[in-house]
Amino acid sequence: MEDNLKNNESKTNHRKMALCLSIIPGLGQFYNRQWIKGIVYFIFASAFIFSFNELISSYLWGLFTLGTEAPRDNSIYLLAEGIIAIIVIGFASGIYYLNLKDAYSNGKRRDQQQPLTTLREQYFNLVDQGYPYVISGPSFLLLVFAVIYPILFSFAIAFTNYNLYHSPPANLISWVGLATFRDIFLVDVWRSTFFSVLSWTVVWTVVASTLQISIGIFLAVVVHQKDLKFKKFIRTVLVLPWAVPGFVTILVFAGLFNDSFGAINNSILAFLGISPIPWLTKETWTRIALLLMQGWLGYPYIFIVTTGVLQSIPDDLYEAASIDGASTVTKFRKITLPLLLLSIAPIIITQYTFNFNNFNIIYLFNGGGPAVPSSTAGGTDILVSWIYSLTMESSQFALAAALTILLSIFVIGIALWQFRKTKSFEEA
Amino acid sequence: MIRKWIGVTLLGVISTMGLVGCGGATGEDYDLVIWEDQDKGIGIKEAVANFEELHDVKIKVEEKAYTNQIEDIRLDGPAGIGPDILTIPADQIGTAKVEGLLKELYVDDSVKGLYTQTAMQSQIIDGQVFGLPKAVETLILFYNKDLISEEELPETIDEWYETSLQYREDDLYGLLALWDQIYYAFGLISPYGGYIFDYDTSSGYDVSRIGLNNDGAIEAMSYLQQFYGSGAFPAGIIGEQGIDMLEALFIEGQAAAVISGPWNLEPFQSAGINYGVAPLPLLNNGERMSSFNNVKGYSISSFTENADLAEKLLLFITNEENSRIRYVETLEVPAVQSLAEDEALMQDEGAKAVAVQSIYSVMMPNIPEMSEVWTPVDAALQTIANGRAEPIDALNEAVEQIARQIEVNHTSQQ
Repeated sequence: MEDNLKNNESKTNHRKMALCLSIIPGLGQFYNRQWIKGIVYFIFASAFIFSFNELISSYLWGLFTLGTEAPRDNSIYLLAEGIIAIIVIGFASGIYYLNLKDAYSNGKRRDQQQPLTTLREQYFNLVDQGYPYVISGPSFLLLVFAVIYPILFSFAIAFTNYNLYHSPPANLISWVGLATFRDIFLVDVWRSTFFSVLSWTVVWTVVASTLQISIGIFLAVVVHQKDLKFKKFIRTVLVLPWAVPGFVTILVFAGLFNDSFGAINNSILAFLGISPIPWLTKETWTRIALLLMQGWLGYPYIFIVTTGVLQSIPDDLYEAASIDGASTVTKFRKITLPLLLLSIAPIIITQYTFNFNNFNIIYLFNGGGPAVPSSTAGGTDILVSWIYSLTMESSQFALAAALTILLSIFVIGIALWQFRKTKSFEEA
Repeated sequence: MIRKWIGVTLLGVISTMGLVGCGGATGEDYDLVIWEDQDKGIGIKEAVANFEELHDVKIKVEEKAYTNQIEDIRLDGPAGIGPDILTIPADQIGTAKVEGLLKELYVDDSVKGLYTQTAMQSQIIDGQVFGLPKAVETLILFYNKDLISEEELPETIDEWYETSLQYREDDLYGLLALWDQIYYAFGLISPYGGYIFDYDTSSGYDVSRIGLNNDGAIEAMSYLQQFYGSGAFPAGIIGEQGIDMLEALFIEGQAAAVISGPWNLEPFQSAGINYGVAPLPLLNNGERMSSFNNVKGYSISSFTENADLAEKLLLFITNEENSRIRYVETLEVPAVQSLAEDEALMQDEGAKAVAVQSIYSVMMPNIPEMSEVWTPVDAALQTIANGRAEPIDALNEAVEQIARQIEVNHTSQQ
């Protein structure tokens, strides 16, 4: 078989010829004597070039220069059109690649003295195997324009100098490359703000998620005990924090924690004889309040999931452990916890990424405040809420886009690392 | 078989979708489009009809909330579906000008002279005119006639302080105001000599000179501290929810008087309070309490295709006669000087109070740097009201923060 192939390779080199000719779409197919397909590709390619040539070249010009004359050139529109041009070129390249692949594979078949697929065969192949692609085609198209396109757009903005003083139509924006990223680390104010916000974000993520996971697991284990009566009722009550929309709960908590007339200061702490705590005006207390609130809001989900997993752990394991003389704590540590974490590892990871970007609670509770003197962001601002206020209040679009990219790198990196780590856990 | 039918249907759907894009919406062609404030279209209906007849043109009036029109015009303008004339509050004019959203107007002094000086100044940046005033709004004093009659109304703020303490003994409140927010506290800071940005009529605002921590401002805030410390104000009136508490107390008849704005004329009336309005009281140095002058104006969009016609329309709807008609229909106090003495205006208590108070009001800086002022100074005033910081320290810190924000967000970006 191998000899056969080697022989064939040295005799003809149709595939390379077809590939080279296919640089002009259609010629490769003509070479392979597949006339209809060749004509289709050729017409398609020429039609594309004729109709889109000027449009794409002007869009690409707009993308590279971002306009040369205000107000005739609206830089943002040029940027948006440029990215559309890139997406269209992307689609065209996909089809061009198909053309090349088709010519190459048919040339290979000729080299191997195999019959070429007829048009009928190819058509039926397409309908059979391509059917799922055809069905999901429209939603893929929608995905590209509704999800990928905005991501590319904000990605591009991070490399410009788009802010209030460089906004169309009165001004042009220009490409500044990595200048914005550099500024984040070089300009004093931005650097100190960035690192203080980043450190609080990390602390917040770790502490809040761990707190809610621990509470959830603890309660689930406690409620799971065999001798506990009214299990259903207790479980229902414990799930209630999840039932009320978080939005509403956070706003109510903001009222409860109010320094001057909130119930926590006036009723609860007064009853315990503790003087009122400045929940909303000192950032340390605001942070503590946020952590407690997130613990309260987040545990029911973990509670339910853990309860489900606990019910699947077989009882004989525990019985065997008791016979061996293990205490409750040891049983928990050696049996329950490992099996549990293995099952709900992805859910735990999502809790961390959820809290990293938990905009709602930070913004609704105190708007990211209170203000602190050493940074331009609020005292409880996490990265995502700082980006929001930069966009909405300060019109610093380029800076916000740059921070978004940094944030995404961080989140994606951590998520990937976590997934890998838990996989190796499974194999062990 | 099924696959064949699915394929045919799919083909049909896709081709129909393609056709959808072909038909364009061809509505009537208007010569001019005006974006008017929400529910205020009735104010210019007559003026627009007259103009249409006079010049044989078609004009469309659309209503949008005036505070958000700047956001809409950013997108609609370049797309070609924006207005020719829009309504914009004066403090957004600076931002709109930097972005190039408004067209400069060339009006002669006779037109400028129609309006009160403060109102006209608010439409001018660096000597360039970007709009004409439409309505003015400023803080006024609402008092509950069932709790305090017009004759008993204290004249000075010291008298109000004494009265408030008396009311506290009956477990009611006397005067309530949100003096932990610069928008209201400015009423005392300004007459004592404080200011936000140093203003010179020829050179405009100097953002490097901030007057929120000068002697006048510190004196004003020290004076206000007693209202909070003595219990004349409830604890909950400080902070974000303060305004809800203030309005709730007045509506429930627990407060004799509040300092609020004309936006409450209607709600208080619907709540059934028998209230009266008056200009703000006098201060200890003999000057009347000041307030910010909120000017709403009409401006021409820079994306207009009918600039000349738009300018004619603008001058027409803001002239004296049409301003008067607009007032009668919408009850928004106009900025035209001669109308301040007009009968119709004098009859409405609210309008009269606003008109009188406007004389003592100060223009809010209309430059983009103004957006950096609010948060730091409000935080400082809050710590003063809470008694957690001394006025001098809190205001110094606020000014430092404002200066730094301006440096980072504005000066270094230009």
